[in-house]
This record gives sequence, structure tokens and C-alpha cells, in this order.
Amino acid sequence: MAHPSQLGFQDAASPLMEELLHFHDHALMIVFLISAFVLYIIVAMITSKLTDKLILDSQEIEVIWTVLPAMGSSQIAILSLRILYLMDEINDPHLTIKAMGHQWYWSYEYTDYQDLGFDSYMVPTQDLTPGQFRLLEADHRMVIPVESPIRVLISAEDVLHSWAVPSLGVKVDAIPGRLNQTTFIVNRPGILYGQCSEICGANHSFMPIVIEAVPLPHFENWTSLMMAEYT
Amino acid sequence: MSLPKPVMRGMLAKRLRIHLPLAFVVSFGLALTYKFAVAEPRKRAYAEFYKTYDSIKDFNAMREAGVFESVRPTGK
Repeated sequence: MAHPSQLGFQDAASPLMEELLHFHDHALMIVFLISAFVLYIIVAMITSKLTDKLILDSQEIEVIWTVLPAMGSSQIAILSLRILYLMDEINDPHLTIKAMGHQWYWSYEYTDYQDLGFDSYMVPTQDLTPGQFRLLEADHRMVIPVESPIRVLISAEDVLHSWAVPSLGVKVDAIPGRLNQTTFIVNRPGILYGQCSEICGANHSFMPIVIEAVPLPHFENWTSLMMAEYT
Repeated sequence: MSLPKPVMRGMLAKRLRIHLPLAFVVSFGLALTYKFAVAEPRKRAYAEFYKTYDSIKDFNAMREAGVFESVRPTGK
């Protein structure tokens, strides 16, 4: 989750989010370069009374300030295409989970495990225990195994929602009547938080997503217990 | 006694000859500073973290701290 006064991204928990972090650093470096150059020129022009009365047919400068921005843009574009196609790779998921958006909770279906399914409501602020995070905790977490490719199929039962987990670099719209797919791998065990990211009514801010990534044996134990309870 | 003829032309060009290269130097300097002060250390930090990362040890520490709901601390 984010910490107070945080400006940058959350620590990456998936290989794709790491790539996104590095690409963002690269793109921001180019943005700083262009912004500093333009700001310097603006200040240099403003702090002088000198002007050019004969600005005509400056073919050389026109070529320069066409080619240089094109080179800068291509620097961003080529790397962005790489990560764009990386995001679309289907990497033989080991597990498929359906995440359905409702007003105002998420439900998860593990159909690989005999129709295991459960709802995930936000824990109200007054019911939080010490150490839990306000507006981020859910009563039932989506548990997944670490270091395994996971496919999540996302849809909605009523209005638009969006299933987002920033530390995985995942944000996928939940659209009624449509099934969207995303795949990711969680690098390390832990708890990952996200929030609904498409306005969906009064309690849009109060339907968080909590993913619990645990080693595979513990995930299998959990599914056995859950199947006994929910199927 | 005659005064030296004042400079009457080329003042803007002279200013641009100084400031345009300086603008390139400043902007590339800032970009490279960001790259080597932020971007490269971040890549190294992730690489170093995962070189010695023990996910089972990390998991057990979190388990004993009681943060997981699917797995209780040992002994509970």
C-alpha cells in the first residue's frame, strides 16, 4: 500500500511492474530534459530586450527543431512498445480466478477448485483491529500462490468497476456483459492492496481489493479449508 | 578624439550563441543527473534485493507476525 506523502509508485511485486517502474524513470528523464530546455530558453528570452526583426526562412533551425523532438519521441516510443507487448504475453497461467464487481464489493470465484467462491467486503473502520489499514482491508482476501502465473478474469454484475492493484501494475475495467483478462506473477509473499478504480456509486471508495500471496503448499491448504466452508 | 564605434548588430546572435549551447548542457545535465541519481540506483536496488531474497524466510516472518488470514502462526 502507499505510505503517507508518497509521490512515486508503490514497490513492485511483479516483474511487469518492475519494468513499468524503469520505463517510467526513462520517460520522466526525457520529460525533465525537454522541460528544462524549454524553461531555460523562456528565461533567456524574457530576460533580454533583444529581438530579431528578420525572422524569415530559417530552414536550418526548422530542421533542427523537427528532428530533435522526433528523436526524443522515438526514444520513448520504442521502449514503450516493448513493455506494451510484454504486458500482452500469455504465459500459461497455473490458476484462473474470476473477479466480479458488484455494488459495492468484489466476489472471487476459483472455478479450478470445485466452484469455490466468496464475497469480499470492506472491513468498516469501526471494526478494524490494530495494525489494519483504513478503507483497504477486506473480510475475505483473494489468496494466490507466489511465483505462479495467475490469470484473473474480470467482469461486473451491475455497473462499471475496475480491478486495480498498483504494486502489480494491474488495472482492468470490470464491464457488465464483458470478460476482461489479465495475467500476472507475484514475486514475493505478502499482502497487496488495491481499490476500485471506476466510479460506481455511493460506495465506490469502499470496495477494496486485497491479495494474499503465499507459498503453494499453504495456498493448497487454504483452498481445502475454503472448499469445506463455501462449496 | 573619437569614441569607439558601439556594437550595433549581432547582439541577439551573440546571446543565442552563448545560451543555446548552455540550454543543451543544462537540460542534458539534469536528465543525466536524474538517470544516475534515481533511475540507475532504483534498478540496482531491485537487483540487489532479489539477489539475496529468501521468500520462505520472509513468508515465515510475516506468518509469525500474524498478518496472513489464510495461514495462522505456527502453534495456533
